[in-house]
This record gives sequence, C-alpha cells and structure tokens, in this order.
Amino acid sequence: MDEINTGISRRKFLATTGTTGALAATVSLGVPGMGLEATSAEAQAAKTPNTVVTKNICHQCPARCGIDVYTTDGRVHAIYGTADHPISNGKLCPKGPLGIYVLYDPDRWRGPMKRTNPNKGRNEDPGFVPVTWDEALQTVADRLNGLRERGESHRAAMLYGRGWGASCAGLLGTFGGLYGSPNMPIGHSSMCSDGSIVAKGYTDGNASYNSHDYRNCNYLLMFGVGFLEAFRPYNNNMQMWGYMRGRKTPKTRVTAVDVHVNTTLAAADRGLLIRPGTDGALALAIAHVILTEGLWERSFVGDFADRQNRFVAGQTVTAAVAPEPVINAETGEATSPEITGEGFVEKWVTGLVDWWNIELKDRTVEWASEITDIPARDILATAREFGSTRPAMAIFERGAHSHTNGIYNGMAIHSLNALVGSLFAKGGMAYQMGPSYGPMPADANEFKDDWANNGDWKTQPRVDKKGSSDGYLLARNMMQEIGPNHLAGDPYKLDTVIFYQNNAIFTAPNGQVWEEAMKDVFIVDTSPFPTETGHYADIILPDHTYLERYQDSPTYPFEGYPLTQLRVPAIKPIYDTKYFGDVIIELGKRMNGPMADYYRALDSAENVLRHLAKGFETDPGDNGVNSWESWVEKGVWYKKPYFWQQRDGVFFEWDGTDYNREMTPEEVGQKLLKTPSGKFEFRSAALEANSDWIVGATGRDPANLMFPIWEPPVHPGGGDLYFVTPKVALHAEGRGHNIPMVIAHLQPTVGGRGEAFVEINPVTASARGISDGDRVRISSDAGSIEARCRVYAGVRPDTLVLPMEYGHWASGRWSKAVPTEHCGEATVNQSDRITGQAMYYSTKVQVAKA
Amino acid sequence: MPKWGMVIDLETCTGCQACTTACAMENNRLPGENWQDVLFYSEGEYPNLNLSWLPRPCMQCENPSCVSVCPTKATYKDEGTGIVLVDWNKCIGCKYCMVACPYGVRFYMDEAPAVEPDVRAEFPASGRRSWNPPFKMPDEYEDASKGIGIQPKGVVSKCTFCYHKVSQAPAGVADLDEDNPETKEFTPACVRVCAPKSRFFGDLDNPDSHVNALIAEKGGVRLKEETGNKPQVYYLSGGGSPAVPGNRSRRS
Repeated sequence: MDEINTGISRRKFLATTGTTGALAATVSLGVPGMGLEATSAEAQAAKTPNTVVTKNICHQCPARCGIDVYTTDGRVHAIYGTADHPISNGKLCPKGPLGIYVLYDPDRWRGPMKRTNPNKGRNEDPGFVPVTWDEALQTVADRLNGLRERGESHRAAMLYGRGWGASCAGLLGTFGGLYGSPNMPIGHSSMCSDGSIVAKGYTDGNASYNSHDYRNCNYLLMFGVGFLEAFRPYNNNMQMWGYMRGRKTPKTRVTAVDVHVNTTLAAADRGLLIRPGTDGALALAIAHVILTEGLWERSFVGDFADRQNRFVAGQTVTAAVAPEPVINAETGEATSPEITGEGFVEKWVTGLVDWWNIELKDRTVEWASEITDIPARDILATAREFGSTRPAMAIFERGAHSHTNGIYNGMAIHSLNALVGSLFAKGGMAYQMGPSYGPMPADANEFKDDWANNGDWKTQPRVDKKGSSDGYLLARNMMQEIGPNHLAGDPYKLDTVIFYQNNAIFTAPNGQVWEEAMKDVFIVDTSPFPTETGHYADIILPDHTYLERYQDSPTYPFEGYPLTQLRVPAIKPIYDTKYFGDVIIELGKRMNGPMADYYRALDSAENVLRHLAKGFETDPGDNGVNSWESWVEKGVWYKKPYFWQQRDGVFFEWDGTDYNREMTPEEVGQKLLKTPSGKFEFRSAALEANSDWIVGATGRDPANLMFPIWEPPVHPGGGDLYFVTPKVALHAEGRGHNIPMVIAHLQPTVGGRGEAFVEINPVTASARGISDGDRVRISSDAGSIEARCRVYAGVRPDTLVLPMEYGHWASGRWSKAVPTEHCGEATVNQSDRITGQAMYYSTKVQVAKA
Repeated sequence: MPKWGMVIDLETCTGCQACTTACAMENNRLPGENWQDVLFYSEGEYPNLNLSWLPRPCMQCENPSCVSVCPTKATYKDEGTGIVLVDWNKCIGCKYCMVACPYGVRFYMDEAPAVEPDVRAEFPASGRRSWNPPFKMPDEYEDASKGIGIQPKGVVSKCTFCYHKVSQAPAGVADLDEDNPETKEFTPACVRVCAPKSRFFGDLDNPDSHVNALIAEKGGVRLKEETGNKPQVYYLSGGGSPAVPGNRSRRS
C-alpha cells in the first residue's frame, strides 16, 4: 500500500497496527509526519519512490540486532540498524551491512540436491545433482521411517548450531520426542561457551549467560571476552562502550585481561597480558585482596559478627554459630538472639569461611603473579579498583574457561561478582526473561504413539555421552565427541544425521577425525551455502538466507527484560530453497504414525509464528506490538522492565511502578538465586552432590572440588607454545568467510587483510629464525597447518595467536582462495570433564619456518 | 548553503570498521577499496605495546589540493554542500589528484583486486561500467557527474560524504544525526552505523551546530594542517585543553 497517499498521520500510523500485512507489510520511507520530518521524508521518498523497508534480524552473530532492509525495484541494496530496536538502536557492527552479500552470494546452492558419488572425503567430488523437493524430502523421510521400523530410531540425530527460536531449532526437540531419538537434537553449546554457563549454574544456580546493566556500571573487569571484537551483543557492547567511556559520569573504568593486545585491551584503562589458562589464579588473588583489605560488599556477603575484619593472609577464620532460638513460653514464638563473637555471618552467600580457609587465604598477589605472569603491583591495583568501585562487574568467556580448569576459573571469576554485590544489582548482572508467546497450534504429547512413549530408544544413551557416567555426566551437550564416538562405535554407530546451522566437520577441534568418521553416515545438510559438512552430504536441503524468510528469535541474554524479534522476508526467495522450519514440518508430515498428524496441524512455520504472536494480544509490547501484523511491521516485541533488583542486600520485585515489593528468601531462591541453598554458593552444593563421580572421572580432591580453587591447566599437543585462536569482529560465528569484504578486513590490528596472520612475538620469532611475512608451520599432536607470520610485539612470547576463520576446503570460491589454513586442525580435542567445554585454547604447538 | 563537516571522536572509536563496510555497501565499492578506512598502528615492545587506530575518510578540504591539480576540472568542490566530488564524465584517470591528496583517500578503479576472485568478473557489466553488483544502489541515486554509483573504467573515485543522502536534507538543518528520526535518512552511512557514536555530521557554517560545539568544547584538531588544505573533518581525542596547536589557532 502507498503510505504517502493514505493521509495517515504518524501518530495515527503508530496507533493503528496491522495497516499492512504479510510480505507487503513494509513501510515506505516517506511516512508523513509533522513539520520537518514530513518534508524530509517526502523529499527522500520522492527520490526513490519505490523503496520499501522490511524488518529483520541480522544473522551474522548471535546478538540479534534489529535491521531495516532497504529494497528498491526488487533489489536489496542497504541494511541499517532499526532505530526503535533495543539492541541495535539504529546502529550496526561491521558485519551488519554485509548481509546483502549473503543474499546475493554467487556461490549459494540453487536448490535441493542429492549425491551421486558414494565415496566421501576431502578430495572426493560429491557429484551433486539437482532433485525436486519432493524427492529430497521423501528420501530423508523414508530413511527415518525405516530406522524407526527396525527399532533403531536412536541412530538418527539432528545437530544444530545457531538455533534462533521456536520456528526452527525449537521444533527439533519435539521432532525427537515424537520420532524417538535421544539425539534429536544435540546443540552446539559445548563448542560454544558452556564453560561460562555451567560455572554460573554451580555458583548462583542459573545455568545461563548473564544479562548486563552496562549503562549503570562503573567498573568492568573482563577476562578473555574480546568485548570490542566478539563478545555479544557486539553492536550494543560498542554502543555501551561509547556511553561508558565517552559520555557517562563517572566514566566507567575498564581492566581487560587477554593473551595479546587487541582493540579491547588497547581501549581499556589497563590491559593485563596473562599466561593462558591462569585467569582463575588472577581472580582468586583479587578475591583475596578484596577480603584482606575489607572491600567486600557487606550488605550482600555478610560480615564478622563483631565487624572486625579477620581476613589475614595465611590465617584461618571461623564461621559464626547461630545461637539457639529463644522460645517464648506463652506465645510459642521463636526469636533469634543477635549473633556475637568472632565468627563470620553469611548473608546471601554460603561457604565463604570454608573457601577462605581451604583456598583463598594463601592466594596472595605474589602467588598469583608467579602463576599468571602479571606483575604483583598490577594485580593489587586491579583488585583495589575493582573492590572499591561500585557497581562493578567481572565478566568472562572462552579465554578464561576454555581450559581443563575452566570450571574453576569460571567459578572464581563469577565469585568476584558476589563479593562486590553485583548480582541482580543496578549496574550489575542478572538473567534473561523469556517472551510472552502464545501456545503452539497443537500439543505434541497428543500425537505420540507407543514407540514415542515407551520405545527402546529411551534406554539408549546419547551418542555424545552427555549425561553418561563414562562420558560427561554433568555437561549440557558434547557435540565435539560425536565424531570420535561414532568412529569408535561407542556407544553405537549413527545412521543418519541432519545438520542445521552447523558445520561440525570444520568447526570441531581436530576435525580431521570427523572427516574420517562421517564417511559412513547418511548426512543431510541444510545450509544455503557449500560447507565442509555439506561436502559429505547425501542430501542437500538448502535453507533460505535470512533476508528471504520469516523466523522468530527471542533475544540472547541482553538487559533482562523479555524481547523477541522477527525476520520478515525482504524479497521472495531468489532460488529454489526452503526455510528450515518448513523442512522439519514437511519431513514430519511424511513420517509414519500419528506424528504426521501433528505436523499437519502445525501446517507451516509461518502458521507456527502466527500462533506464537497470539501471546502478544494479551501482553502487548512497549512499542505497541500486539499481533502478528504489528510484529511484522515493527520487527520486535519487548516489554520493560526486568522484574527484579537487589539493593544493598535486599531483593525487590517490580510492583508495577518501581522495585518496591521486598522478596522473601524463599522467593529469591525460587526466582533468582536458584541454588539448593537459595544463595550464592562459594561452596557449590551441586558439585558436592556429584563429588563421587568427579573424583572418579578427574582424580580431584573431594575435600575442595566444590570450591573455586586453583588447578593448573593441562596443555596437550606436545609443543612449547600456547596456541590461542580467537574470534575477531568480522568472524563472529564464521558465517561471513566467503564475503570478499570480510576477507578484505578480517584482522586489521596486525594488517590481516586478505588472509589471517599468526601473531608471533619478536623474541619468539627470531629464536626460530622466523621473519615477518614468512610462511610458518604450526604443529601439534593433532596435526599441522600453515599460515603467514606477523611479528607482533603485542602477543605474549609463549603464545601464538591465529584468528579462527579460514582454511575452508569445501566452501565458496572466495573463502577457499584464502591461503591461511584452519587452526582447528592443529587443535587437540580435549574437553572440561565437568562443563563439557571444548578447549579451543588449551593446545600447545611448535612453530617453524615452512 | 551548508558547509558539511564531520567530527570523529577518537576517545570512543572502537576500531570496528563498521564505517568501512557500511560505506562500501552504500556506495558499491569494491572489496578493500576503502573510501572510509581505519588505519592501525602499533609501537613499543612487549608487554608495553601501544596499539592505536585512526578512522580516515576523505577530509573534504576547504582548499583541496586534488581540485587544483586536475587538468580536466573533473574534480571540483560542490558549491551547494562544500563536498569535493569527481565528475566521471570528465575524469581521464591521470591520477594527478591521487598524488596531490595528502591523505591518500582517492582510488583508481582498474587496479589488481584486493581480494580474489575479482568480483568485477563475477558481476560483469556492459559498456563502460566496471561491474554490476546485484545489490547496486537505486538507479535514482546514481550520478556520474558527481562520482556516485557504479564507476566507469579508467576513472578515480572518492568519498562523497554520501552526497546522494546529504543533499536531500531539509534546508537549514544544523546537524544530520542518525538518532534524530527526521535526519536519519540523510546522514552519511559511516556516521549512521557508528555504534559507539563516535561520528558527528553537521554544518560547519552554522554556529549553532553540534559539530561546532564539539570542536570547541573538546578541542577538535585537523590532520596535516601544514598543507593548508583546511580539512572539514575534525578529530577529538580526549577534550583536555593542553594540546598540540593547529594552524587555525592564534597564539595568545
């Protein structure tokens, strides 16, 4: 419809939702308004009268930035951030504008295909030939039906990478439950950042990433997070950075910890170059200083009963003993007398006294300096700043926890947040609420047959041994183990694997094992692009790219309040592709038994989305979104505020006007600190409950394995140099490697344009006769790769840094032409036995001139 | 008549290169042909290494040396906007302007590609057009007389301050701010995307513009003032009064 000629004022336009619908639900540039806006907008519209703007979400990292997609005369030609979107706020990161190229990438698959060459391998041409969607889907369905008839449905798996929402990855668990496989789906979280999630789960009871209130934070202590490169939501991080560092009073102080000087360290007040895998030692020393110098937040942590600080290095302290309650003989009422004496009285934490006595009392800055290779004076200064500036946050990601001691590094760092009272505080961190979705079109439980409910598949372990005592009992997923496990036939051989947003053959550490393992598996790939996993595929079912599809996506942890967004197609699909959500539904319709009726009830992914949007009718968003149509028009539903706030050790719930309603300890335990004790646990009850298994699996000491302790990391690989392979701004989740503009700008800090350099310290390079620009060979027990050297004084002498991105051998032409080889092929597949985290940064390698 | 200028705050710039990629897509530039580049520098020894960066657009000089050397008057200063443009109908590709520019912000199309395979071969065009990307800007924006759009072979190109956007701005407006819904669409791409809001765009001839306030309050400086080119791009780097004085300063 023509907005200009309808005479709808801006105010009326905003008040009227659903003036447009479906694909036509696009807003012309020239929405007339008042005064200057009308003039300017109309002038702009007059120049490009055919321009329409559709709402979408960027697809190039997990942040989910709302984007405005500009289409004129059938050409998508610009992407900008959506102004009224809480994450993007009209802005973009460097990847955002490049989404257009994703759409028009000439190396995209044109339609469904099947393999004609039965042999699989890196050097085998798959011999793909086009097939109809009907043939492709029926081939997969026949295979799944056959497995189920033979009682082997557990041998089918669905592996997904970046799942977005209820209309894609959200459909997979239901499919697995109806079909009958413990491996439908298996997520990628162990190859992502489970180390962070699990460490938080064992200390504050929330196995999730945090939401953050950067806007009100006065001190940021960052361990291996790449805040200005890869930490999500990157775009919003930078918006917050501009505010915290430029316009906020007081200016937020920043200390960043990493193994090389990147833009984050360069822009911080203090950059600490730490020995890889020792972040936990640094955090323990900071905690030690916070306690010995009396800097902890007493309103959250508690205090000694007589308010004398007895935390002295090397000396133990005692816990206060609560006196017996006094019972009033007449009323029967119990009152607790005031605690007296020298003992420590804990408030919202447990185990502090034991943690101090067993671990912290000896974790001095001098001790940490030896381990971390950071000068003691810098550790002390950081600890004093962090401990004396409120609100302060300690945040961490893979740099800190992608090591054998990752669980403890993570717990130690997160414990700093408890010590300074940042949990659920203004300027601190909390957890993400979910959106008010309506129910699905049908209840899957009503469509389960006997096999789904009681089949033998329920006795089968997951192929990745997640949840198995001989595997990873406490992990959330173990995707990196699937290739090796299948190869060994332990616990069994897979038959069919469907991949969604997942190129595990390339991204798994030591992916060469997967290359061997996946040769006898029937593989279905759904990427719109050629990939290494797709190179092994028997059937290709190419997805739409993100500018061509409807798709929902609740926010990644952001600011806590619920938020969900929608992809709206800007143009009709260019090629013969199909949205993955519809692929699952169409497969479901072809399955034998009652599950097909479930998928007929779902009908289509768009129908699912329309049902989800019904939830907004009774709970409209702050931006007026109260229907499918208004969701399509605005692209986002969100509802502020976050419901809870901790102030000076008291927890409050939002009462409709402010954080006024004081919560009981029971409510706090139920809603916020979801540990067995309902408190932040320095002594993790959940770890302690699994003590026997942990001792058996790791040989750890049952006396201290439940505390944030120091444990030296184990570095396999056989080399003498740490090998760290970070993600850079243009990589994010690696979906841009075939974009020429990404290749041209990948690693700007050291001039990596057109390829990725391995950063080598000048001392390290000259000792090996390596000069700047030389091609070098990096070797470990896993394998060896080549890359070009950039001699860089900003990297630790004991560490090589090579960004993960290149080395693709079955991707698009631009990506394949980049001469850098893949860091994963020199990375040993080793996992944290507790968190299941794949250790991308724990291998030690050798380097020599190639 | 506005005299458009830009202010770049180096204190908050994160070196992310969103300005670079947004410009490339908005203006259909070849991969790596960065009208708006970010230059990185490092100095010092481990562990005290100073890594720094400088975002570098065309300075849109008040007194541009590229204009005076152009033998065909292809390069000119647009009177209505103060923007330096290239008329591709007149440019003969002699590259004098590339030599004369003190800031290295002019580009010749027919160089070896920065990234292989060459996208010009992948998206071939007919006639003089150098390539034909499927995401090309709307036809209405293209204007060879101002160096906007798909470039012909054998000519020089440069940043236009997104003339096709800026020139549509309402008359008399002091600043083009992406956060103002009324000026969002007329703000240059590099300014509009800048996440930390390190870029500001406004009328240097309007004493009330925000850019003039920033230059005054935070001590805006220009690059290579000794050339006398008088850039219309100013940099901020902290805002303290002690600073290296620029040519426009008068000693008191």
